[in-house]
Amino acid sequence: MDGYIVGTIIKAILVLAIISALAGFGTYIERKILAFMQRRLGPMHVGPYGLLQLAADGIKLFTKEDFIPSGANKFIFMLAPVITAATAFIALAAVPLLPEFNLFGIEVRPIISDLNIGILFVLGMMAAGLYGPLLAGMSQRNKWGLLGSARTAIQFLSYEVVTGLSLLAPIMIVGSLSLIDFNNYQSGGITHWLIWQQPLAFILFIIAGFAETNRTPFDLLEHEAEIVAGYATEYSGMRWGMFFIGEYANMITIGFLAALIFFGGFNSWGFIPGGLAIILKVSFFFFLMLWVRASWPHIRPDQLMWLCWKVLMPLAVINVTLTGLWMMI
Amino acid sequence: METFAFYFLAISITILFTITVWSKNILNAMTALAAGMILISGLFFILRADFLGVVQLIVYVGAVMALYAFGMMFFDATGTVKEKNRPNFTVLLLGVLTAVLLVGIFTAPTLINGVPSFYPEMAGATNPQAVGLVLFTKYLVPFEVAAIMLLVAMIAGIILAGKKMDNSISRMSEEELKAQLEKDSK
Amino acid sequence: MSMEEFKDRNVGVQNYRMLDLEPNPETGMDKFKQVVKRSVKLELFTGLKVTFREMFNALFRGEMHTTKYPFEKLPISPRYRAIHEMKRLLESGHYRCIGCGLCEKICIANCIRMDTRYDENQRKEVSEYTINFGRCIFCGYCAEVCPELAIVHGGRYETASEQRASYSTFEDMLTPLDQLAQQSEYPGFGAVSADADEKIKKTPLAY
Repeated sequence: MDGYIVGTIIKAILVLAIISALAGFGTYIERKILAFMQRRLGPMHVGPYGLLQLAADGIKLFTKEDFIPSGANKFIFMLAPVITAATAFIALAAVPLLPEFNLFGIEVRPIISDLNIGILFVLGMMAAGLYGPLLAGMSQRNKWGLLGSARTAIQFLSYEVVTGLSLLAPIMIVGSLSLIDFNNYQSGGITHWLIWQQPLAFILFIIAGFAETNRTPFDLLEHEAEIVAGYATEYSGMRWGMFFIGEYANMITIGFLAALIFFGGFNSWGFIPGGLAIILKVSFFFFLMLWVRASWPHIRPDQLMWLCWKVLMPLAVINVTLTGLWMMI
Repeated sequence: METFAFYFLAISITILFTITVWSKNILNAMTALAAGMILISGLFFILRADFLGVVQLIVYVGAVMALYAFGMMFFDATGTVKEKNRPNFTVLLLGVLTAVLLVGIFTAPTLINGVPSFYPEMAGATNPQAVGLVLFTKYLVPFEVAAIMLLVAMIAGIILAGKKMDNSISRMSEEELKAQLEKDSK
Repeated sequence: MSMEEFKDRNVGVQNYRMLDLEPNPETGMDKFKQVVKRSVKLELFTGLKVTFREMFNALFRGEMHTTKYPFEKLPISPRYRAIHEMKRLLESGHYRCIGCGLCEKICIANCIRMDTRYDENQRKEVSEYTINFGRCIFCGYCAEVCPELAIVHGGRYETASEQRASYSTFEDMLTPLDQLAQQSEYPGFGAVSADADEKIKKTPLAY
């Protein structure tokens, strides 16, 4: 029991350290990829190929003045970024990150807590993460912030139903809510991946995932061109950085979810071992998010509502119904 | 460990809901409400009812989010709300009495008999499966009745909200708008 | 000419291409059809294709557009009017300036000052010549008016300085003697055109 607790704490610290480092590294990757897609070079001068840009940004964020606007609700203003960052990491607790492996003779399961309701827990935590932008926008006494938080509420009420319903069909097929069961269900190679059985569910999930992580086609909360910086208008320094770390950690989580649920998880893939396979898959989804950001324009909040409630939700319901019928026959 | 977690959660929840009731700032009140609801899901996790815990989390995160939207529309989120109602001791007395009665009614059987388990834990069944089995056998009728009730509520809501959905004020021409305003004023 | 004509200048009529946009759908059915058409035709993926192609070209075909400015510079037009240079005669190495003072006279920003005197051979020599680049507007009149192609515009366009008035003296602008061999004829403002020999006519004797 003691070993279990110590192991869990070590795993939690490792995940926290690695994912937050990756989230920081994600900003560098994003800038590079966006630059390449616009035929620019991106950050080049801090370190070789600008690799140390990350450290420079970190130093800048840490040393920047951290101010709280007068008239803001101080406690909630300080609380909001913590919510975003914390929930993003809590959501990762139920995600199996790599296949099991042996380290110094101890079998290590790279999942912090194997809940048998893993998917629901991850989705619930990521949903709770939207309280960060909401509270940030409402507490800062800034009209742009208020608009940003109003948009947060709209976005949340739009995509949440689609996420749940789109995942319902794969859950029905696998018959479990645990992500490890999902992984084991698809262990038979590339033809057993759930994407072939549930292509529509995958498309719906990835759209909802983009909305969940506030990535570009649905980047309404912080739409620079329309509402200055939305919920983050009054934030500076590390508080602002925490919003960013939360956002990138959420992107990584969505990548893991998509890879685990639809793309065979961490089963070995031909000659590629499982651990590398899932990292490749998650990297692809991360790249996809940046790729889409470079290519597509934003949409309006009313268009997001229209899309989610009038197009995606009926499609998801039809998908669930058809899956149910197919399973009965 | 679990006792400690229970008392920690229970005290936090009580404090948070007290803030919800007493705070005059809409933002503080709602944030306390949301935090309390999320902590309640912690109680479910302690009881090993993971599924219910997560459902509590997801449902109340969404519900309180909608409440925030209303709060945003009706109140100044950073200011305090002026409340008109004066303390009414009759209401206070009745409220406390109801609370005591409810607690008494719900705890009396457990105090007398201990906690009887109508359905022994099913070996090998995971939490959602256990919930599903009970829900679709023993409690099927209440479940369906609740479903119908929710459907009725949904249809009623749509009808109430969708009465004038066909004519949008922003798309009306000047004359139509005047006619509409006159009609409404009558 | 009335004001309306002045404002309506038909700018760019010849260059703009009208996209054949579909009319906005009116009814619900039309909207539905549009959504289905756009979804099935996968129009969104064209955008993804374009950005990926650009990334591929930039990374592997050397079509990166960035110029790392302080380290590389883009070529400028020969007619660009940057910091002035003073040319020398190729044969003797003496400066070309004959001290006529035309550049000082024509300078509309009053930034050129020159003093001349007779040297021991009774030739005019430039004793002092400064250009105040804080005032210079780089109009190019001095290079145009110079009869000897002595003062010309060079290609050095980074003119930032710590002071409002930054003077350049004659010696600063003169081609150094050891670089005389590399001195090139200035093709830009005020220079004779490349085909001047063909264009020139023999002056009749009556003049």
